[in-house]
Amino acid sequence: MSGKLNRREFLKALGVSGAAGATLAGCDLPSTITLEEGKEEVVSYFMPEEYVVPGVGVWYASTCTQCTAGCGIHGRVREGRILKVEGNPDAPVNAGKTCQMGQAGVQGHYNPDRITSPMMRDGGGLVAISWDKAEAMLTEKLAGASGDRIAWVTGTVSGHQRVMIENFMEATGAKHHYVHEVVNNRVWESVCQDMLGDANARLRIDKADVVLSLGADFMGASSSPVLYARQYAEFRRGKRGTLIQVEGKMTMTGGSADLWVPIRPGTEGALALGLANYLLRKGDVDGSVVSAELRKRIDEFTVERAAEITGVSGDRIQRIGKVLRDRRPSLVIPGAAVQGQEFGYQATAAIMALNILLGNVGKTIEPGFDVPLKQLQAKTGGTGDLVRFAENVKNKQLDVVLFYGANPVYTAPIALGFRDFLGSVPFKVALSTFPDETVMQADLVLPVASAMEDWGTHMAVNSGEQPVLGVQQPLMEKLYADTRGFGDILLGMLKQKKPDTYGQYADFYAYLSNALVAMKDSSVSVQTTPKAFWEEALQNGQVGVKAPVKKFAVKTFDVQIPDHQADAEFPLALMPTARMGLFDGRHANLPWLQESPDQIAKVVWDSWAELHPITAAKYGIKEGDLIRIESANGAITTTAYLFKGMHQEAIAVPLGQGHSDYGRYARGRGVNPLTLLDARVDAKTGELAMYATRVKIVRTDETKDIVRLGASDVQMGRGFVRTVSVDTLRRTEGA
Amino acid sequence: MSLQNIMENWSNYRRGAEEGGHHKYEHRWGMAINLDLCIGCNACSTACYAENNLAVVGKSRFAKGQAMHWLRVERYWDESQNKSSSVTPDYPEEGASFLPMMCQQCNSATCEPVCPVAATYHTPDGLNAQVYNRCIGSRYCSNNCPYRNRYFNFFSYYESSWPEPLNLQLNPDLTVRDKGVMEKCTFCVQRIRAAKDKAKMADRKVQDGEFTTACAQACPTGAIVFGDRLDETSKVAKLWQQHEVKLGVYKQHKQNPEKRGYRIFEELNVDPSVMYLERVRDTGI
Repeated sequence: MSGKLNRREFLKALGVSGAAGATLAGCDLPSTITLEEGKEEVVSYFMPEEYVVPGVGVWYASTCTQCTAGCGIHGRVREGRILKVEGNPDAPVNAGKTCQMGQAGVQGHYNPDRITSPMMRDGGGLVAISWDKAEAMLTEKLAGASGDRIAWVTGTVSGHQRVMIENFMEATGAKHHYVHEVVNNRVWESVCQDMLGDANARLRIDKADVVLSLGADFMGASSSPVLYARQYAEFRRGKRGTLIQVEGKMTMTGGSADLWVPIRPGTEGALALGLANYLLRKGDVDGSVVSAELRKRIDEFTVERAAEITGVSGDRIQRIGKVLRDRRPSLVIPGAAVQGQEFGYQATAAIMALNILLGNVGKTIEPGFDVPLKQLQAKTGGTGDLVRFAENVKNKQLDVVLFYGANPVYTAPIALGFRDFLGSVPFKVALSTFPDETVMQADLVLPVASAMEDWGTHMAVNSGEQPVLGVQQPLMEKLYADTRGFGDILLGMLKQKKPDTYGQYADFYAYLSNALVAMKDSSVSVQTTPKAFWEEALQNGQVGVKAPVKKFAVKTFDVQIPDHQADAEFPLALMPTARMGLFDGRHANLPWLQESPDQIAKVVWDSWAELHPITAAKYGIKEGDLIRIESANGAITTTAYLFKGMHQEAIAVPLGQGHSDYGRYARGRGVNPLTLLDARVDAKTGELAMYATRVKIVRTDETKDIVRLGASDVQMGRGFVRTVSVDTLRRTEGA
Repeated sequence: MSLQNIMENWSNYRRGAEEGGHHKYEHRWGMAINLDLCIGCNACSTACYAENNLAVVGKSRFAKGQAMHWLRVERYWDESQNKSSSVTPDYPEEGASFLPMMCQQCNSATCEPVCPVAATYHTPDGLNAQVYNRCIGSRYCSNNCPYRNRYFNFFSYYESSWPEPLNLQLNPDLTVRDKGVMEKCTFCVQRIRAAKDKAKMADRKVQDGEFTTACAQACPTGAIVFGDRLDETSKVAKLWQQHEVKLGVYKQHKQNPEKRGYRIFEELNVDPSVMYLERVRDTGI
């Protein structure tokens, strides 16, 4: 490398523009270093393969698959190994930033507990078999089943993975595709569809002056944590917006609130109506923007009534109302606890109505993009599909089920009865990278290459200001020769079914490059040749998609919010909270995330139950006591953690632990609160009412140390974190 | 480095500090961390694990305080929010206080003069460096660190932390530390080294923003800003200036005392290189 050549340019010339080289095996070594040209250095293994320069890292663009947000990443590859992931500065979702789950993606790739070869059930256990045998089995079983008895169960899928699944369904006649995500926004999406005419309405926290989050952990376990954290930073930087968080359990996002207010979980819709009532009564908002029925309903929900239902004092409601009146635009966001009720749709609609009254729609809630390539858009998952799937399993409606990117044996509540009946599905196929609980129940296991070895494309539900198709490319060679990319596995099956259509593609790479080039005209790229377009897509890690912004068609209707009813037998509301890190349990096999303290409780490597000290005192519970949490469906036992950021009528157990399989880091650690949930659903959308389960607690005689970061919860006057009022900030920094 | 050398440097420093600093620094790497933007999400600390080959120690060793997190995000409650407090109100009225805490790269570091073998010393970049090969594991330095930011290898963590093929992720730009050695945040010295080499080859100065530390690069809200305090055009230098925080003093004399910049434990006269900006709260609701 000459001193004149800028290193970045050097990398660009060698690596990034030649990123496709990863698949072009057998290229000659660069001729500049051959002896024939009179060079004296003998380089042999020092230039082992093209683009591999010892000691020099090359950055390749790809797309993160640790959650469904679709962040663009750059992977640092050195000596053929992927070492580190950073955010892609050009990606509209994350603009160069990453969350901790994205950082830990490499530990999934290098995980010591990956599946390395196809396996089939033989007697009680799984035994390794060849791909030929695995494919023959699958072909036979698929041929023997009628289409309406074949189902896919996946997580949120988009881009060409979705296309491949749909191609597969078309070729085999499979009729069912259940899309399941525990952390989801399905109820909000359907409210957006019904009230705004656009399911993909985009939140703009950065444009709000006040954010009222009703339990929304938008920067933590949300559908796009980095995007919303970036928006939050703008919100704080500019006018120094105010965050008011009202929730039953302080979430990570609640940990940044200017005002934190506890609320009886599940009554947030009543609060929204109470606030609307306050604003309308004071004549601060124009009531004519909502329907007469809704107006009448709001009139019934006086501040006093809202206070009674929610447990938030009338004075507090009025003060929040004043802030919403005085500081516009605002944004009211419903979280998982609002959506996860039997009347979750109604409560979410009430919150949307409040946004409409406040004039936020069009300002801090913007329409999504009308993406021309509908088949590439995300098919977003929820829990309604899990319920429907469980129902079909119970009724013995399915003969062949294929699982990919979903682990329902872990995430399904016992009450769905799914676990007992899964065995009755004659043929269960798991396409997976890790031996999770669903894999352990499968009849055939197909080992999927890790996300860092695979090709794919992803379209984020919300990619900020520019819709893009994120390109996922391999960041290194496969660690295990017997694993295959997801697209390759499906293409293999499609080739058998439809050789005329799919026989022309040697592999999924060929299919994908072909398909991507075909969408050139829908992209914002100015490249003229297919080759240049493809290389640009790989260099950028994404293709910008031309899409106009949709228009809202606002519609309001009456909402029904029930009064609060106490439950004498099960006095506490169970809050099964997903968290940034282990998320819904999918990252429990990554040691960095297990050792990373929970943002609020600071606990590591275990489960715990958060309980208000006053509630705990009622039961004679001290911190560290093992408590038994019982719902109508079952019980779990875990350690009590006393915390004032809990409503006194609720108990929170974080998601993530309680795996019976999933490798050495996850197995046999903590408890899984999802097992306790009732099989109740939101009446309108059919989504599981995840926050509607009620429990009772019993103290056991045992105790267990809680392992956590930090010896002291308070600063003892040492002033590590100092606080200044917003008035001071406005004086000194003019915010 | 002989003892005499250390003593000489130390007294030079002390004398120099009063006269505005004597070192002929090439760079003075520093940070500005805006606590109003920190959301406590742990992206920084996980990025640090990925960049710096930090060992995962497991639950029982974590319980003994042996975690190797060079950068940890602390979370504090106000006295009234604390669970053991019977002070009303029963509920916190605002969020928590998050604090990303890493080695503060003190310019008169209390860890440095106590090292019997000069394994920890001050670089001309203003860094508090740790030479693993010299370290004999006396742990005097960690006893003396007021921030508790030094981490000791009580075990050969490499034997258990990276079962194959997890070891393939290890960053070859720095070592894996063995039993008996102290380690700590280096401000990603391997990235500093690479940037300096690159600048030298191009016969130019290191430019602000051409590289940053792993924590700052990951931070979703951009709360952490890293750079060269000597480069007056750098973002970090401007922030220090804007908030009227100076190096080389144990008490800031601000023209406007309401400016948000402060250094933790500044009064101990350790002269840390990390400036925090006070958290802001809108309490008038």
